[in-house]
Amino acid sequence: MTIDPKYFELIQADIDGEIDDAGKAELESFLADSEEGRSVYEQLETLCRSLDGMPSIDPPQHLRHVLLNQAPVKAAPQPSPGFLQRLFAGPILGYVGMFAAGVALTLTLVDSDQISRGAFDDVTGLVGTIADSEFAVPEHGTISVDKSEVAGTVTLRSTGPILIVDFDLSARQPVEIVAAYSDKTIWFNGFAQLESSGTSIAAETGAVTLNMDGKRRYAVYLNNPGIRPATIDLRFMADDQVIHEAQLSFSEAD
Amino acid sequence: MNEPDDTKLMERCSNGDRQAFEMLLARYEKPVFNAAYRMLNSPDDARDVTQTVFLKVYEHLDQYDPKYRFFSWIYRITLNESINWLKKTNRLDALDGDTADTASGPEQEASNEQLSEGMQAALMTISPDYRSVIVLKHLLGCSYQEISEVLEIPEKKVKSRLYTARQLLQETLIQRGLH
Repeated sequence: MTIDPKYFELIQADIDGEIDDAGKAELESFLADSEEGRSVYEQLETLCRSLDGMPSIDPPQHLRHVLLNQAPVKAAPQPSPGFLQRLFAGPILGYVGMFAAGVALTLTLVDSDQISRGAFDDVTGLVGTIADSEFAVPEHGTISVDKSEVAGTVTLRSTGPILIVDFDLSARQPVEIVAAYSDKTIWFNGFAQLESSGTSIAAETGAVTLNMDGKRRYAVYLNNPGIRPATIDLRFMADDQVIHEAQLSFSEAD
Repeated sequence: MNEPDDTKLMERCSNGDRQAFEMLLARYEKPVFNAAYRMLNSPDDARDVTQTVFLKVYEHLDQYDPKYRFFSWIYRITLNESINWLKKTNRLDALDGDTADTASGPEQEASNEQLSEGMQAALMTISPDYRSVIVLKHLLGCSYQEISEVLEIPEKKVKSRLYTARQLLQETLIQRGLH
Protein backbone atom coordinates (compact mmCIF):
# COMPACT_ATOMS: atom_id res chain seq x y z
CA MET A 1 0.00 0.00 0.00
CA THR A 2 1.52 3.30 -1.04
CA ILE A 3 -1.05 5.75 0.26
CA ASP A 4 0.17 8.39 2.65
CA PRO A 5 -1.43 7.66 6.08
CA LYS A 6 -2.85 11.19 6.25
CA TYR A 7 -5.19 10.29 3.39
CA PHE A 8 -6.54 7.32 5.33
CA GLU A 9 -7.45 9.77 8.06
CA LEU A 10 -9.10 12.13 5.59
CA ILE A 11 -11.03 9.30 3.97
CA GLN A 12 -12.33 8.17 7.34
CA ALA A 13 -13.17 11.73 8.41
CA ASP A 14 -15.10 12.31 5.20
CA ILE A 15 -17.13 9.12 5.55
CA ASP A 16 -17.83 9.96 9.19
CA GLY A 17 -18.92 13.48 8.25
CA GLU A 18 -16.14 15.01 10.32
CA ILE A 19 -13.98 16.61 7.65
CA ASP A 20 -13.40 20.35 7.33
CA ASP A 21 -13.42 22.26 4.04
CA ALA A 22 -9.65 22.29 3.60
CA GLY A 23 -9.44 18.55 4.29
CA LYS A 24 -12.28 17.88 1.88
CA ALA A 25 -10.54 19.80 -0.92
CA GLU A 26 -7.27 17.98 -0.27
CA LEU A 27 -9.02 14.61 -0.27
CA GLU A 28 -10.89 15.31 -3.50
CA SER A 29 -7.69 16.28 -5.21
CA PHE A 30 -5.98 13.12 -3.97
CA LEU A 31 -8.86 10.83 -5.00
CA ALA A 32 -9.00 12.34 -8.45
CA ASP A 33 -5.47 11.07 -9.07
CA SER A 34 -5.44 7.83 -7.08
CA GLU A 35 -7.34 4.73 -8.13
CA GLU A 36 -6.06 2.94 -5.05
CA GLY A 37 -7.35 5.78 -2.90
CA ARG A 38 -10.78 5.54 -4.50
CA SER A 39 -10.83 1.81 -3.86
CA VAL A 40 -9.93 2.28 -0.18
CA TYR A 41 -12.63 4.93 0.07
CA GLU A 42 -15.25 2.61 -1.44
CA GLN A 43 -14.35 -0.31 0.79
CA LEU A 44 -14.47 1.75 3.94
CA GLU A 45 -17.71 3.39 2.90
CA THR A 46 -19.30 -0.01 2.23
CA LEU A 47 -18.17 -1.29 5.60
CA CYS A 48 -19.51 1.77 7.40
CA ARG A 49 -22.82 1.49 5.60
CA SER A 50 -23.11 -2.13 6.73
CA LEU A 51 -22.27 -1.15 10.29
CA ASP A 52 -24.80 1.66 10.24
CA GLY A 53 -27.38 -0.76 8.89
CA MET A 54 -27.12 -3.20 11.77
CA PRO A 55 -30.66 -3.45 13.12
CA SER A 56 -31.60 -1.99 16.44
CA ILE A 57 -33.14 -4.60 18.70
CA ASP A 58 -36.12 -4.00 20.93
CA PRO A 59 -35.38 -4.83 24.56
CA PRO A 60 -37.57 -7.56 26.09
CA GLN A 61 -41.05 -6.20 26.77
CA HIS A 62 -40.85 -6.75 30.51
CA LEU A 63 -37.46 -5.10 30.98
CA ARG A 64 -38.93 -1.66 31.64
CA HIS A 65 -41.09 -3.08 34.44
CA VAL A 66 -38.12 -4.81 35.98
CA LEU A 67 -35.98 -1.68 35.75
CA LEU A 68 -38.66 0.44 37.34
CA ASN A 69 -39.29 -2.02 40.10
CA GLN A 70 -35.65 -2.65 40.92
CA ALA A 71 -34.93 1.04 41.49
CA PRO A 72 -34.79 1.64 45.22
CA VAL A 73 -37.82 3.62 46.28
CA LYS A 74 -36.90 6.76 48.15
CA ALA A 75 -38.93 7.28 51.30
CA ALA A 76 -41.26 9.94 50.01
CA PRO A 77 -43.86 11.28 52.42
CA GLN A 78 -47.39 10.16 51.61
CA PRO A 79 -49.52 13.27 51.92
CA SER A 80 -52.81 11.42 51.84
CA PRO A 81 -54.17 7.92 51.31
CA GLY A 82 -54.69 6.83 47.73
CA PHE A 83 -58.00 7.43 46.05
CA LEU A 84 -59.24 3.87 46.28
CA GLN A 85 -58.12 3.55 49.89
CA ARG A 86 -60.18 6.63 50.78
CA LEU A 87 -63.13 5.46 48.74
CA PHE A 88 -63.23 2.04 50.34
CA ALA A 89 -62.20 3.06 53.82
CA GLY A 90 -65.63 2.39 55.35
CA PRO A 91 -66.04 -1.05 56.95
CA ILE A 92 -69.19 -1.96 55.03
CA LEU A 93 -67.85 -0.87 51.69
CA GLY A 94 -64.50 -2.37 52.47
CA TYR A 95 -65.26 -5.91 51.38
CA VAL A 96 -66.90 -4.93 48.12
CA GLY A 97 -64.29 -2.28 47.70
CA MET A 98 -61.55 -4.81 48.00
CA PHE A 99 -63.11 -6.83 45.24
CA ALA A 100 -63.69 -3.88 42.94
CA ALA A 101 -60.23 -2.56 43.49
CA GLY A 102 -58.84 -6.01 43.02
CA VAL A 103 -60.59 -6.58 39.73
CA ALA A 104 -59.63 -3.16 38.43
CA LEU A 105 -56.03 -3.58 39.40
CA THR A 106 -55.84 -7.13 38.18
CA LEU A 107 -57.01 -5.91 34.82
CA THR A 108 -54.44 -3.17 34.93
CA LEU A 109 -51.72 -5.67 35.68
CA VAL A 110 -52.84 -8.04 32.99
CA ASP A 111 -53.56 -5.61 30.22
CA SER A 112 -51.21 -2.71 30.66
CA ASP A 113 -47.68 -2.51 29.41
CA GLN A 114 -47.09 0.31 31.85
CA ILE A 115 -47.82 -0.51 35.45
CA SER A 116 -47.85 2.87 37.07
CA ARG A 117 -46.29 3.29 40.47
CA GLY A 118 -49.43 5.10 41.44
CA ALA A 119 -51.36 1.87 41.07
CA PHE A 120 -49.20 0.27 43.72
CA ASP A 121 -50.30 2.87 46.24
CA ASP A 122 -53.84 1.66 45.92
CA VAL A 123 -53.25 -2.01 45.61
CA THR A 124 -53.98 -2.97 49.18
CA GLY A 125 -57.26 -4.65 48.32
CA LEU A 126 -55.78 -6.95 45.76
CA VAL A 127 -54.25 -9.52 48.05
CA GLY A 128 -57.39 -9.62 50.14
CA THR A 129 -59.39 -10.23 47.01
CA ILE A 130 -57.35 -13.07 45.69
CA ALA A 131 -57.23 -14.67 49.11
CA ASP A 132 -60.97 -14.63 49.59
CA SER A 133 -62.55 -17.96 48.72
CA GLU A 134 -65.73 -16.45 47.28
CA PHE A 135 -63.79 -14.66 44.59
CA ALA A 136 -60.82 -16.96 44.49
CA VAL A 137 -58.93 -17.53 41.29
CA PRO A 138 -57.71 -21.09 40.69
CA GLU A 139 -55.30 -22.27 43.35
CA HIS A 140 -52.49 -24.55 42.30
CA GLY A 141 -50.91 -25.34 45.62
CA THR A 142 -49.84 -24.09 48.99
CA ILE A 143 -46.68 -24.73 50.92
CA SER A 144 -46.30 -24.22 54.63
CA VAL A 145 -43.25 -22.97 56.42
CA ASP A 146 -42.83 -23.62 60.11
CA LYS A 147 -39.42 -22.51 61.23
CA SER A 148 -38.34 -20.55 64.25
CA GLU A 149 -37.27 -17.68 61.97
CA VAL A 150 -40.35 -17.58 59.73
CA ALA A 151 -43.71 -19.31 59.56
CA GLY A 152 -46.76 -19.13 57.34
CA THR A 153 -47.92 -20.13 53.88
CA VAL A 154 -47.18 -19.38 50.25
CA THR A 155 -49.93 -20.08 47.74
CA LEU A 156 -49.77 -20.17 43.97
CA ARG A 157 -52.81 -18.96 42.05
CA SER A 158 -53.37 -17.93 38.47
CA THR A 159 -55.61 -15.84 36.32
CA GLY A 160 -55.05 -16.12 32.59
CA PRO A 161 -51.33 -15.82 31.97
CA ILE A 162 -50.71 -14.21 35.37
CA LEU A 163 -49.30 -16.38 38.13
CA ILE A 164 -49.92 -14.97 41.58
CA VAL A 165 -47.59 -16.05 44.35
CA ASP A 166 -49.36 -15.08 47.55
CA PHE A 167 -47.12 -14.84 50.63
CA ASP A 168 -48.67 -14.83 54.11
CA LEU A 169 -45.73 -15.01 56.47
CA SER A 170 -44.55 -13.93 59.83
CA ALA A 171 -40.84 -13.55 60.44
CA ARG A 172 -39.05 -13.05 63.74
CA GLN A 173 -35.99 -11.62 62.07
CA PRO A 174 -35.01 -10.36 58.60
CA VAL A 175 -35.63 -13.13 56.10
CA GLU A 176 -34.71 -13.31 52.44
CA ILE A 177 -36.86 -15.33 50.08
CA VAL A 178 -35.76 -16.20 46.57
CA ALA A 179 -38.51 -17.31 44.20
CA ALA A 180 -36.83 -18.76 41.12
CA TYR A 181 -38.69 -19.76 37.97
CA SER A 182 -36.70 -21.80 35.53
CA ASP A 183 -38.78 -20.98 32.45
CA LYS A 184 -37.12 -17.88 31.01
CA THR A 185 -40.25 -16.84 29.17
CA ILE A 186 -41.84 -16.02 32.52
CA TRP A 187 -41.31 -12.45 33.60
CA PHE A 188 -41.90 -10.38 36.68
CA ASN A 189 -45.12 -8.43 36.21
CA GLY A 190 -45.75 -6.69 39.51
CA PHE A 191 -45.86 -6.70 43.25
CA ALA A 192 -48.52 -5.79 45.79
CA GLN A 193 -48.50 -5.78 49.56
CA LEU A 194 -51.12 -5.25 52.22
CA GLU A 195 -48.78 -3.09 54.26
CA SER A 196 -47.48 0.06 52.62
CA SER A 197 -43.89 -0.84 53.45
CA GLY A 198 -41.83 -3.52 55.08
CA THR A 199 -41.04 -5.78 52.18
CA SER A 200 -38.55 -5.06 49.44
CA ILE A 201 -38.32 -6.86 46.15
CA ALA A 202 -35.65 -7.14 43.48
CA ALA A 203 -36.36 -8.80 40.17
CA GLU A 204 -33.75 -10.33 37.94
CA THR A 205 -33.81 -12.82 35.12
CA GLY A 206 -35.54 -15.97 36.32
CA ALA A 207 -36.01 -14.95 39.93
CA VAL A 208 -37.31 -12.42 42.38
CA THR A 209 -35.74 -11.83 45.76
CA LEU A 210 -37.83 -10.59 48.66
CA ASN A 211 -36.66 -9.26 51.97
CA MET A 212 -39.09 -9.07 54.86
CA ASP A 213 -39.37 -8.89 58.59
CA GLY A 214 -42.43 -9.09 60.85
CA LYS A 215 -45.91 -10.17 59.79
CA ARG A 216 -46.40 -9.54 56.11
CA ARG A 217 -48.91 -10.29 53.39
CA TYR A 218 -47.89 -9.67 49.82
CA ALA A 219 -48.18 -11.05 46.30
CA VAL A 220 -45.78 -11.35 43.41
CA TYR A 221 -47.25 -11.34 39.91
CA LEU A 222 -45.49 -13.25 37.18
CA ASN A 223 -46.45 -13.28 33.53
CA ASN A 224 -46.44 -16.73 31.99
CA PRO A 225 -47.20 -15.79 28.36
CA GLY A 226 -47.65 -19.31 27.02
CA ILE A 227 -49.66 -20.41 30.09
CA ARG A 228 -47.18 -23.25 30.16
CA PRO A 229 -46.53 -25.62 33.05
CA ALA A 230 -44.14 -23.93 35.42
CA THR A 231 -42.43 -24.48 38.73
CA ILE A 232 -41.37 -21.91 41.26
CA ASP A 233 -38.58 -22.84 43.63
CA LEU A 234 -38.69 -21.04 46.91
CA ARG A 235 -35.64 -20.67 49.11
CA PHE A 236 -35.94 -19.07 52.54
CA MET A 237 -32.80 -17.66 54.10
CA ALA A 238 -31.95 -16.11 57.43
CA ASP A 239 -28.49 -15.02 58.56
CA ASP A 240 -27.19 -16.12 55.15
CA GLN A 241 -28.24 -19.71 55.84
CA VAL A 242 -30.89 -21.62 53.92
CA ILE A 243 -33.58 -22.48 56.43
CA HIS A 244 -36.26 -23.90 54.15
CA GLU A 245 -36.79 -24.87 50.53
CA ALA A 246 -40.04 -25.69 48.75
CA GLN A 247 -41.54 -25.83 45.29
CA LEU A 248 -44.85 -24.69 43.82
CA SER A 249 -46.06 -26.01 40.48
CA PHE A 250 -48.47 -24.64 37.94
CA SER A 251 -50.26 -26.65 35.31
CA GLU A 252 -53.20 -25.38 33.31
CA ALA A 253 -55.04 -28.60 34.06
CA ASP A 254 -54.97 -27.93 37.83
CA MET B 1 -44.23 20.83 24.45
CA ASN B 2 -40.49 20.41 24.87
CA GLU B 3 -39.28 17.32 26.67
CA PRO B 4 -37.14 18.12 29.71
CA ASP B 5 -33.45 17.63 29.03
CA ASP B 6 -31.43 14.88 30.68
CA THR B 7 -29.86 17.19 33.25
CA LYS B 8 -33.25 18.42 34.42
CA LEU B 9 -34.48 14.84 34.65
CA MET B 10 -31.43 13.85 36.68
CA GLU B 11 -32.07 16.73 39.07
CA ARG B 12 -35.64 15.57 39.51
CA CYS B 13 -34.47 11.97 40.02
CA SER B 14 -32.18 13.17 42.79
CA ASN B 15 -35.23 14.59 44.52
CA GLY B 16 -36.95 11.21 44.41
CA ASP B 17 -39.10 11.90 41.33
CA ARG B 18 -39.80 8.46 39.91
CA GLN B 19 -41.55 9.88 36.87
CA ALA B 20 -38.28 11.55 35.88
CA PHE B 21 -36.55 8.21 36.21
CA GLU B 22 -39.22 6.63 34.01
CA MET B 23 -38.57 9.31 31.39
CA LEU B 24 -34.83 8.65 31.43
CA LEU B 25 -35.59 4.97 31.13
CA ALA B 26 -37.82 5.57 28.14
CA ARG B 27 -35.03 7.59 26.53
CA TYR B 28 -32.08 5.32 27.24
CA GLU B 29 -33.38 1.79 27.76
CA LYS B 30 -33.12 0.85 24.11
CA PRO B 31 -29.70 2.38 23.32
CA VAL B 32 -28.22 0.92 26.50
CA PHE B 33 -29.68 -2.52 25.77
CA ASN B 34 -28.47 -2.41 22.17
CA ALA B 35 -24.98 -1.26 23.11
CA ALA B 36 -24.72 -4.06 25.65
CA TYR B 37 -26.09 -6.54 23.12
CA ARG B 38 -23.48 -5.59 20.52
CA MET B 39 -20.73 -5.77 23.12
CA LEU B 40 -21.83 -9.14 24.51
CA ASN B 41 -23.64 -10.85 21.64
CA SER B 42 -26.31 -12.21 23.95
CA PRO B 43 -29.77 -10.75 24.57
CA ASP B 44 -29.90 -12.35 28.02
CA ASP B 45 -26.57 -10.88 29.07
CA ALA B 46 -27.55 -7.52 27.56
CA ARG B 47 -30.72 -7.53 29.64
CA ASP B 48 -28.77 -8.23 32.83
CA VAL B 49 -26.21 -5.53 32.04
CA THR B 50 -29.00 -3.06 31.26
CA GLN B 51 -30.48 -3.76 34.68
CA THR B 52 -27.11 -3.19 36.34
CA VAL B 53 -26.58 0.04 34.42
CA PHE B 54 -29.88 1.60 35.49
CA LEU B 55 -29.47 0.42 39.04
CA LYS B 56 -26.05 2.09 39.13
CA VAL B 57 -27.46 5.26 37.63
CA TYR B 58 -30.15 5.33 40.29
CA GLU B 59 -27.77 4.50 43.12
CA HIS B 60 -25.16 7.04 42.07
CA LEU B 61 -27.38 9.95 41.16
CA ASP B 62 -25.43 12.11 43.57
CA GLN B 63 -22.18 11.36 41.73
CA TYR B 64 -23.44 12.70 38.43
CA ASP B 65 -21.70 15.93 37.50
CA PRO B 66 -24.12 18.04 35.43
CA LYS B 67 -21.27 19.79 33.65
CA TYR B 68 -20.86 16.54 31.70
CA ARG B 69 -23.55 15.28 29.42
CA PHE B 70 -25.74 12.50 30.82
CA PHE B 71 -25.41 10.28 27.76
CA SER B 72 -21.63 10.15 28.12
CA TRP B 73 -22.04 9.03 31.73
CA ILE B 74 -24.60 6.31 31.05
CA TYR B 75 -22.82 5.04 27.94
CA ARG B 76 -19.55 4.87 29.87
CA ILE B 77 -21.27 2.84 32.58
CA THR B 78 -22.79 0.60 29.90
CA LEU B 79 -19.48 -0.13 28.19
CA ASN B 80 -17.66 -0.63 31.49
CA GLU B 81 -20.36 -2.96 32.77
CA SER B 82 -20.29 -4.89 29.49
CA ILE B 83 -16.52 -5.29 29.74
CA ASN B 84 -16.86 -6.33 33.40
CA TRP B 85 -19.41 -8.89 32.31
CA LEU B 86 -17.02 -10.23 29.69
CA LYS B 87 -14.31 -10.48 32.35
CA LYS B 88 -16.64 -12.22 34.75
CA THR B 89 -17.63 -14.77 32.14
CA ASN B 90 -14.07 -15.21 30.84
CA ARG B 91 -14.97 -13.81 27.44
CA LEU B 92 -12.72 -10.79 27.49
CA ASP B 93 -10.44 -12.13 24.79
CA ALA B 94 -11.65 -11.55 21.27
CA LEU B 95 -12.89 -14.75 19.67
CA ASP B 96 -11.16 -16.03 16.59
CA GLY B 97 -13.02 -15.93 13.35
CA ASP B 98 -14.03 -19.58 13.51
CA THR B 99 -15.52 -19.61 16.95
CA ALA B 100 -17.24 -16.24 16.95
CA ASP B 101 -20.87 -16.83 16.34
CA THR B 102 -24.08 -14.98 16.74
CA ALA B 103 -26.62 -15.70 19.43
CA SER B 104 -29.70 -17.56 18.30
CA GLY B 105 -32.30 -15.80 20.43
CA PRO B 106 -35.69 -14.85 19.06
CA GLU B 107 -34.56 -11.30 18.30
CA GLN B 108 -31.75 -12.71 16.23
CA GLU B 109 -34.08 -15.00 14.31
CA ALA B 110 -36.36 -12.08 13.68
CA SER B 111 -33.61 -9.97 12.12
CA ASN B 112 -32.45 -12.89 9.99
CA GLU B 113 -30.03 -10.90 7.90
CA GLN B 114 -26.92 -12.74 6.97
CA LEU B 115 -24.74 -9.67 6.71
CA SER B 116 -25.90 -8.30 10.00
CA GLU B 117 -25.24 -11.63 11.67
CA GLY B 118 -21.85 -11.83 10.00
CA MET B 119 -21.08 -8.33 11.18
CA GLN B 120 -22.06 -9.17 14.75
CA ALA B 121 -19.88 -12.26 14.62
CA ALA B 122 -17.03 -10.18 13.22
CA LEU B 123 -17.50 -7.65 16.03
CA MET B 124 -16.88 -10.42 18.52
CA THR B 125 -13.49 -11.11 16.94
CA ILE B 126 -12.10 -7.69 17.84
CA SER B 127 -11.11 -6.64 21.34
CA PRO B 128 -13.69 -4.92 23.57
CA ASP B 129 -11.79 -1.62 23.28
CA TYR B 130 -12.18 -1.65 19.50
CA ARG B 131 -15.73 -2.97 19.78
CA SER B 132 -16.59 -0.04 22.05
CA VAL B 133 -15.66 2.61 19.47
CA ILE B 134 -17.62 0.80 16.78
CA VAL B 135 -20.68 0.59 19.03
CA LEU B 136 -20.42 4.25 19.96
CA LYS B 137 -19.94 5.39 16.38
CA HIS B 138 -22.27 3.16 14.42
CA LEU B 139 -24.91 2.08 16.90
CA LEU B 140 -25.17 5.10 19.16
CA GLY B 141 -24.29 7.64 16.48
CA CYS B 142 -21.66 9.47 18.54
CA SER B 143 -19.25 11.97 17.00
CA TYR B 144 -15.48 11.73 17.53
CA GLN B 145 -15.76 14.34 20.24
CA GLU B 146 -18.59 12.48 21.98
CA ILE B 147 -16.72 9.18 21.79
CA SER B 148 -13.73 10.94 23.28
CA GLU B 149 -15.96 12.17 26.13
CA VAL B 150 -17.46 8.74 26.79
CA LEU B 151 -14.20 6.84 26.71
CA GLU B 152 -12.17 9.66 28.25
CA ILE B 153 -9.47 9.41 25.59
CA PRO B 154 -8.18 12.11 23.18
CA GLU B 155 -9.96 12.53 19.86
CA LYS B 156 -6.81 11.55 18.01
CA LYS B 157 -6.87 8.21 19.76
CA VAL B 158 -10.57 7.82 18.91
CA LYS B 159 -9.74 8.22 15.21
CA SER B 160 -6.88 5.75 15.25
CA ARG B 161 -8.84 3.22 17.31
CA LEU B 162 -11.81 3.54 14.98
CA TYR B 163 -9.59 3.11 11.95
CA THR B 164 -7.91 -0.01 13.33
CA ALA B 165 -11.23 -1.48 14.45
CA ARG B 166 -12.66 -1.03 10.97
CA GLN B 167 -9.58 -2.54 9.35
CA LEU B 168 -9.84 -5.59 11.59
CA LEU B 169 -13.55 -5.95 10.86
CA GLN B 170 -12.96 -5.64 7.17
CA GLU B 171 -10.32 -8.36 7.22
CA THR B 172 -12.63 -10.71 9.10
CA LEU B 173 -15.51 -10.03 6.74
CA ILE B 174 -13.30 -10.62 3.70
CA GLN B 175 -12.12 -13.91 5.22
CA ARG B 176 -15.74 -14.91 5.62
CA GLY B 177 -16.69 -13.83 2.14
CA LEU B 178 -19.03 -11.16 3.43
CA HIS B 179 -17.28 -8.09 2.14
